[in-house]
Amino acid sequence: MDRTSDPSFKGKAASTGTGESSQHSSLSANVQPRYNAAARRPRKLRSQYPRGNTENHVEYILVASFDIDRGPVMEHQYPVAITGDEHMLAELMLPDQAHVRNQDWTIFFLHKDTSQEEDDAERRAKEERRARRNRRRDRAKGIIHESDDEDEEDGDLDDDDWDDDESTDSEPEGIEGPPLVYVLNLVNTKQDKTVKRGAPLLLLALEEYFKSPVPETLAMLYNAVNEMDLSLMPRLSHLERHLLQASENKDLFVEKFEEMIQARIIENSGVGVDQPLDASIAPPKRPSIFRSGSKAHIEGHAAYVVPRDTHEFESKVLYKGIPIPIKVPVAVMPEIVGDFSLIKLIQNFSDSHAKTPQTFPLHPHLTTNGPNTNPIIVLINALLTQKRVIFLGHNMPSGEVAEAVLAACALASGGILRGFTRYAFPYTDLTKVDDLLKVPGFIAGVTNPTFELHPEWWDLLCDLPSGKMKISSKIEAAPITEGLVYFQQQNPVYANLVHNPSSGSSSGDLTGDAAFMADIQRCITTRGGERVIRAKWRAWVLKFTRIAAAFEESVYGASALYIGSDEQEANMSGAHGHGYVWVDEATKARELAGNVTRIEGWRNTRSYYSFIQDVAQLYTIRPLKGLDLAHLHDRLRTQRLTPMQSKEIYDTLAKYVHSYDEICLLLSVAPEASAGLFYIALGLFHKDRDVRFKTADLLERVAEHEAGQHWWRALSRFEKLAYVRIKREAEAEARAKVDKEERDGFSPVDKRAS
Amino acid sequence: MGAALSISSLFGKLFGSKEVRILMLGLDAAGKTTILYKLKLNQTMTTIPTVGFNVETFTYKNIKFNMWDVGGQDKIRPLWRHYYSGTQGLVFVVDSSDHARIEEAKTELHRILNDLEMSDCLLLVFANKQDLDGAMDPQTITQKLELSKLKERPWFVQPAIATEGEGLTEGFGWLSDNIKKMPKYGGK
Repeated sequence: MDRTSDPSFKGKAASTGTGESSQHSSLSANVQPRYNAAARRPRKLRSQYPRGNTENHVEYILVASFDIDRGPVMEHQYPVAITGDEHMLAELMLPDQAHVRNQDWTIFFLHKDTSQEEDDAERRAKEERRARRNRRRDRAKGIIHESDDEDEEDGDLDDDDWDDDESTDSEPEGIEGPPLVYVLNLVNTKQDKTVKRGAPLLLLALEEYFKSPVPETLAMLYNAVNEMDLSLMPRLSHLERHLLQASENKDLFVEKFEEMIQARIIENSGVGVDQPLDASIAPPKRPSIFRSGSKAHIEGHAAYVVPRDTHEFESKVLYKGIPIPIKVPVAVMPEIVGDFSLIKLIQNFSDSHAKTPQTFPLHPHLTTNGPNTNPIIVLINALLTQKRVIFLGHNMPSGEVAEAVLAACALASGGILRGFTRYAFPYTDLTKVDDLLKVPGFIAGVTNPTFELHPEWWDLLCDLPSGKMKISSKIEAAPITEGLVYFQQQNPVYANLVHNPSSGSSSGDLTGDAAFMADIQRCITTRGGERVIRAKWRAWVLKFTRIAAAFEESVYGASALYIGSDEQEANMSGAHGHGYVWVDEATKARELAGNVTRIEGWRNTRSYYSFIQDVAQLYTIRPLKGLDLAHLHDRLRTQRLTPMQSKEIYDTLAKYVHSYDEICLLLSVAPEASAGLFYIALGLFHKDRDVRFKTADLLERVAEHEAGQHWWRALSRFEKLAYVRIKREAEAEARAKVDKEERDGFSPVDKRAS
Repeated sequence: MGAALSISSLFGKLFGSKEVRILMLGLDAAGKTTILYKLKLNQTMTTIPTVGFNVETFTYKNIKFNMWDVGGQDKIRPLWRHYYSGTQGLVFVVDSSDHARIEEAKTELHRILNDLEMSDCLLLVFANKQDLDGAMDPQTITQKLELSKLKERPWFVQPAIATEGEGLTEGFGWLSDNIKKMPKYGGK
């Protein structure tokens, strides 16, 4: 039977054909659920950067220059010197061939060590920060210090943030070890009088510094950035961040921004800033809230502004009286650093491949679709299997190679896997090559074509100007692993499909990657937008991890990539099962055969081990521990189920998905970008009346949910009508029941009678 | 230009086109970058210290030269070795008027030539800045650089004034003649 099975499906659709619109409008006032603030998450909403927090937006400001006699030298460090090799830092800050460009930028990562020395410096910096915040608080109270001449409104360089987080939240923030320090670096050659681009704030500051090269100039920038108030940016939970990241919707979680502002208005009204709140004192006149970009906002009537797109918190910096608009991402995901474009990266290599297809020498980890594997797939395979990857951009600004490196990190991570940015060198040069080669598996950006002449330094070279990739002639061969041998023994029919070049041709796209890349291409051509592409890659990475889990379970008998035992599943009544869902066993075996080599190459990498740790940590905060919602949803989506089987799944969903977090989890397995609530709403047409009623109740809960309301709105009119019909049916039944009870002379009637 | 270069280096090997890799080294401020752009563009450019390297291709006497000019500050000299592999000719540039550092130049030159990867390459020395007062002549330079110690290797000292372009074509004339004789290049 079909999964949409409902014998009366067609007849009903036809019968509701007339009077549809009136029915719809009348019901939207009564029956159709609305987002309900009371049904909100139980937690108190918090700020990502609370006021009075001692954390800085910028920790250090460094200035280096190229000295004609001594080469790169560090000129100033503010407020304190970073420990470590000062000369090396200066070298990092001055990219190769900086002399032929007016302006350039790079980004690099420093690994914070926790030595005593550093602690001392850190403590001093903290004291400094505290003093500054006190000053600001004083100012908020109306106390003006003589030295203060800047405005309260400040901004942020979104890349310059510390990666760490005061872990007061119940959610784990990852187990990366010491935090990475992101360094956004702007290079100016002194003769420059031309174009302005890059980080405008840094540019202004650097120009200022050329005028007066003293530490005070740095102090001004340092304070301007750090005094910024991001306290109205709400903090999101792990699931909320994922939902926001995957969604195109500019209104998702807008309520949280409004709530932050309301709280602030109450806080600021009448009572002193630092005094406890008294909710009974009503503010005499409430400042108005407007959406950014709205008429009132532009005309300057709005005291507080809700961002026009909830993905970005809008702010501005007043640096020397010049307002600089700055946008800070609201949902920051691991490994997503800087302002890059996946579309640009994909087009750079795929377009050239489409014109003149590249033929790669075979490597089991890399060429999973044979010699004509799409270069972007070769790249992601290289990153997953921890190869040494170099982006070469000869005659390109270092900023462009850095951007490609950051995009590659995001591509492989998808916001799910970690361990790429930590080993990324967005821009590096020959001075660091000896150190670079000590790193097992890296992603580096270079502009010096000498790297191409040293195939012993890399496994995959991605040449940006030509859009060609090269697999090194000196790449280490992939070992024959136990997993591969077991798989072939267990699946003799499919054994010869494992890394067989002809089987990887487009006709036998075992991995599905050829189809996936075609979809990505289509999406780019139809202007799908960066966010859509990122969501698709995220889905690819997620699918890869789930296939890997299924592979490990089938070959090794167990997998640490999924937590949850059969025992636990058995404890929850209803439908169970977990993991990736295939239509049938043959399809599963074929897809596993296509993936075996890269899965085996992924095992034992840094990203593999940190994923296992993350899975374990996320498990502790995950709602519905014994239930794999993704599995249940995918069964509805991909398999042909009997009415009995689908009933079991719908019953289970309706039974367990209630709370705010549980609904978030459900939404995360049914992303808007694919089909949203479509497969869940099919329960409204199930032949079993009970399933229809329960599904309607579940959808009602979703519609009243802060995020779910957007998913609800995306449902088709047809499904909404079915919902309304069922709700009416249910109401009618309930009324009939009451009437019947009354007629049958139960207690309420008796009481009235007496 | 980047794209053109990488494509030519890709197909260069396939079709045996006559591209040779030349590495130009020397102490800082010897005139390397000035020579490179005089050859490439026939223009005298005011150069600033090279951060890293410059690389250009140009054709002379039917030979395509892929010439690398690497910065000479002492701090970045340890990086020179990364450019050795595949080099067929070394152009070593000396500021003939810099008596104080000719000894330092000698040390650096011999260090380069002693590297295994440089064992087969030709040596062309430009005794640059001949127009300056007190410039050493080619014989003195030969002697100071102790070139007589070099045994098998073909070498040549060419006096030059890079800013005027004087001596450059002569130097490259010697280089192309000798490259054609190299076994790698199909010569005998």
